[in-house]
Amino acid sequence: MATIIIDCKTYEVPLGKNVLETCLNLGFDVPYFCWHPGLGSVGACRQCAVKVFKDADDKKGRLVMSCMEPVVHNQHLAVHDADTIDFRKQVIEWLMTNHPHDCAVCDEGGSCHLQDMTVMTGHHERRFTFNKRTYKNQDLGPFLNHEMNRCIQCYRCVRFYKDYAGGKDLDAYASKNNVYFGRAEDGVLENEFSGNLAEICPTGVFTDKTLKEHYTRKWDLTMSPSICQHCSVGCNTIAGERYGALRMIHNRFHEKINGYFLCDRGRFGYEFVNAENRIKQPSINGDVVERTELETRLEKIMKSAKVIGIGSPRASLQSNFALKTLVGEDNFYHGVSDHEHDLAELAVRILKDGPVRTPSTKEIEKSDAIFVLGEDLTNTAPIVALAVRQAVRQDLSGEPEKIHIQGWQDAARKNLQQQRKMPLYSATIHETKLDDICTSANYATPEDIARLGFAVAHCVDHNSPAPEHFPEALQVRARSIANGLLAAKNPTIISGAGCASSAVMKAAANVAIALHKNGIVVGLTYTMLECNSMGLTMIGGHRLSAAFNAVINGHADTLILLENDLFRHGSFAEVGDFLARCKNVIVLDHTKSDSTDRASVVIPAGTFAESDGIIVNNEGRAQRFFQVYESTESIQESWRWIINIGKTLQHPKLQTWQNFEDISKAMASEEPMLQNIDEVNPAVDFRIVGQRIPREPHRFSGRTSMHAHIQVSEQKPPTDDDSPLSYTMEGTRIQPPSAMIPFYWSPGWNSVQSVAKYQHEVGGSLKDGDSGIRLLEANAASSLVYFQGIPEAFVPLEHHLWIVPTYHIFGSEEMSAKSASIQKRIPTPYLLISAVDANIYHLKEQDIIKVSIANISYSFPIKINRNIPVGMAALPYGLCDAPINALPEWGIVETSPLTELHDYVRKTKVQH
Amino acid sequence: MQLTNRSKLVVKKEMNFWERMYLPAILGGVMITIRHLFRRKSTVKYPEKTREISSIWRGQHVLKRDDKGAERCTACGLCAVACPAEAITMTAAERKKGEENLYREEKYASTYEINMLRCIFCGLCEEACPKEAIFLTDRIVTTDYSRTGFVYGKDKLVEKVDDRIDVTKRQTLAVQEFKQQKQLSHNK
Repeated sequence: MATIIIDCKTYEVPLGKNVLETCLNLGFDVPYFCWHPGLGSVGACRQCAVKVFKDADDKKGRLVMSCMEPVVHNQHLAVHDADTIDFRKQVIEWLMTNHPHDCAVCDEGGSCHLQDMTVMTGHHERRFTFNKRTYKNQDLGPFLNHEMNRCIQCYRCVRFYKDYAGGKDLDAYASKNNVYFGRAEDGVLENEFSGNLAEICPTGVFTDKTLKEHYTRKWDLTMSPSICQHCSVGCNTIAGERYGALRMIHNRFHEKINGYFLCDRGRFGYEFVNAENRIKQPSINGDVVERTELETRLEKIMKSAKVIGIGSPRASLQSNFALKTLVGEDNFYHGVSDHEHDLAELAVRILKDGPVRTPSTKEIEKSDAIFVLGEDLTNTAPIVALAVRQAVRQDLSGEPEKIHIQGWQDAARKNLQQQRKMPLYSATIHETKLDDICTSANYATPEDIARLGFAVAHCVDHNSPAPEHFPEALQVRARSIANGLLAAKNPTIISGAGCASSAVMKAAANVAIALHKNGIVVGLTYTMLECNSMGLTMIGGHRLSAAFNAVINGHADTLILLENDLFRHGSFAEVGDFLARCKNVIVLDHTKSDSTDRASVVIPAGTFAESDGIIVNNEGRAQRFFQVYESTESIQESWRWIINIGKTLQHPKLQTWQNFEDISKAMASEEPMLQNIDEVNPAVDFRIVGQRIPREPHRFSGRTSMHAHIQVSEQKPPTDDDSPLSYTMEGTRIQPPSAMIPFYWSPGWNSVQSVAKYQHEVGGSLKDGDSGIRLLEANAASSLVYFQGIPEAFVPLEHHLWIVPTYHIFGSEEMSAKSASIQKRIPTPYLLISAVDANIYHLKEQDIIKVSIANISYSFPIKINRNIPVGMAALPYGLCDAPINALPEWGIVETSPLTELHDYVRKTKVQH
Repeated sequence: MQLTNRSKLVVKKEMNFWERMYLPAILGGVMITIRHLFRRKSTVKYPEKTREISSIWRGQHVLKRDDKGAERCTACGLCAVACPAEAITMTAAERKKGEENLYREEKYASTYEINMLRCIFCGLCEEACPKEAIFLTDRIVTTDYSRTGFVYGKDKLVEKVDDRIDVTKRQTLAVQEFKQQKQLSHNK
């Protein structure tokens, strides 16, 4: 701790921070632009000037940039001194000389850091009377709008895009008054985190293009704390609505998960909520019906039928549990392929019974060695990939400390660090976006990845099983990886369901357990395929194939399908046959799919924006998302529909449930793995000084006119029986608990930067701590032994390709793929094969290859890849009709090969 | 409990004969009516005659067009946020290529509605507008048979290209002088 004196008052502050951070923590409003808690200081904008005095006698002092000045003991500072105030005012006046002053048409207006800072410094009159320089803007693709004239040259965008996120195609061009931030030429911003530019930019240079389609000011949105539904990481988001449509997704700070950033899938995937193909009315056999008719029909069906229920990895715990209760434990099945079911169960078993803890994303960011097995993180769990990048960027060599460079001194650290980085080892089926920072990247089939993993585990601890006939070259590699991991203090092993291989996941577990036995604090992360895969597994239920059998054998004739497109989880023929055999198929879903097309009764369920629910992320953290707006009367949460059905049937349990909390309480008492699930957030009757938490900012406008076209007299706003939030602007302005912050705002701080006011200290955890409850903790007294069963080395088969799934951030996830902006980034289907295989079958890039998978013939244009192993092919998950769920699977190539070349290649390979 | 000393005892007074005739009282009433016939009228025969109003009277709103006939409103939302009755709502849209003559800036209000039943004609919308787009005028909001007729959309609010509404009187001398400056020609 240090004692510092600011404006003649003494404060006790921690050392190791810069003056700007310290001032902000103490509540001083020091204006700044280029500094960002996630990016550190570079001193580029000159806005945060304060005065430093030599000692108590120094009356003159000198101006310094507070973001570049470390806190020292007995420091005398002045923030509100005439000189500094004048200086800051002057700086912003200069910055504004070329700013177009177009707030009225700017999307950032009302949530703009530049606006806030201009007001804060007191600059209000333009004295510069000359022409402004203007730029040509670029078309940056479907996500971001570019308006360079608004730029104030703070360099935050390139620092985030290039340094933090590893992007290559955004840069600063020209000099002096003409500095330009953009691409070398028009085109799509390639990085998967480009959407963050909209938040990181202090003004309106980069703005959300999807918001522009249906623009609404921040103050006019009805906002709710939400959880991203587009991958298993469970990033915290703020979802905003107006006029009955979801308008935007913003980052909601969670120190342990997403920090300040979101990936583009999470940010722009929301548009499926407003899509044309939403189910808005209940229908029976394709005809839209009234609610009463639906209820009588359901009652009739349910009373005389043998019902089974199939849950979903993308539905909330509440919905799945309600369905399980309705149909009974014996008749509840997981709506995922058996393969996926096994992988998820394996992950839960390893993380729950094993001795190794699964780290949060924040902890991954701090680990000093990382080994990725089989997972293309940028495409399956993007925020984890971003965390891995930060871990690699760390400089733990001790050099900076030696010459007194502190963590926040971004430019200096980077200069000192040069190419030095933390070790990242990866073994994937083909190259990934993290390869540029890899110490060693290995490309192999899932079997060989698993073998490498087992070999590494064996090198770390000789008690763990070693793969047989392991080539010496690979043994050397395994040894070097093992040495790298052993040298680390807190390494992290990352694997997941992406490879569709349990062997890979087991190998990752073996490496982690071996390291743990060596006394190293190791983390083990498994990424899952869907947002609630972990939660569904914890609820328990039977396999999907058992559901098929139940219907085939006549044990059941009616199916209730919950928010699930079964065709994504089973082969087309099998699922089609199953649905045809069911006498009644009742589907609860929010978006049309192949399954809803075959349903006899379709019930309109709410999306995440119209529902409350809890989902469990891959870390085992249960988090709640809150309803953003009340939808039409017909659309409601799946669990509410199921309660309604239960009430008409006079189900003993369901008829006692009224709201969200009743289900959560029942779940906590009945599900052994979800024992404190009802404590995920405060109870329904939680109030702050007797008031609810408002979803709308106090500036919300148009209450008495926005619904006037429906009814002139103002209607009573809907009440929320499921949460302590209100749908209006009335309520407390005191900071709510972390899980329930609907938006960030603080007097004078209208932009996203106001999150600093909600944190203990800027960049640190929220005042109320982290939200969510971790359900998976390592078992120190674990009896989990090393996994055996090492797969054989992969041997290519003639005329065959071993087809494994590969992933795309845009397109592989079901719901985001229905978002209009994401659709513009989805690649066309292809089959990725090696150059050698392409030669064998005499194919060029984009030629059509015919492959038969599970006796069905498919044609794909091929993409040739340098790194993918020979004899293997990768098929993008979710992009085409092919049986993604059946992979990995041998595909018989029906395109005739060139026999001679084939033999030639095989021979040369053997010789090598 | 007696609170003050100002209480007055009321006695039921018996009316005498004259009073019971009521004639003097009726005549007294008629006299008042007759006297009013010769006084200045306190009403006007609207709509044939309109009352004299202040030059800055705050009546029905107008959404102005600029000199070239393009709509000035950019749907920034400041009028809505300033409105104490929360009576204004709008949706913003992006101007497309070829619409430059319709909308002055790259954004415009695709819908703009004022609930005239809620409006209190305070003029804060006009004060908040950074684009000189909304003004209150000396026109009176007409009556209607249904409440829905009082939700004024763009069809009623935007001035007709060939029938402009003069609002110069609502601009103070300082504003008009400010607009004379050459460098601010875009504000004309």
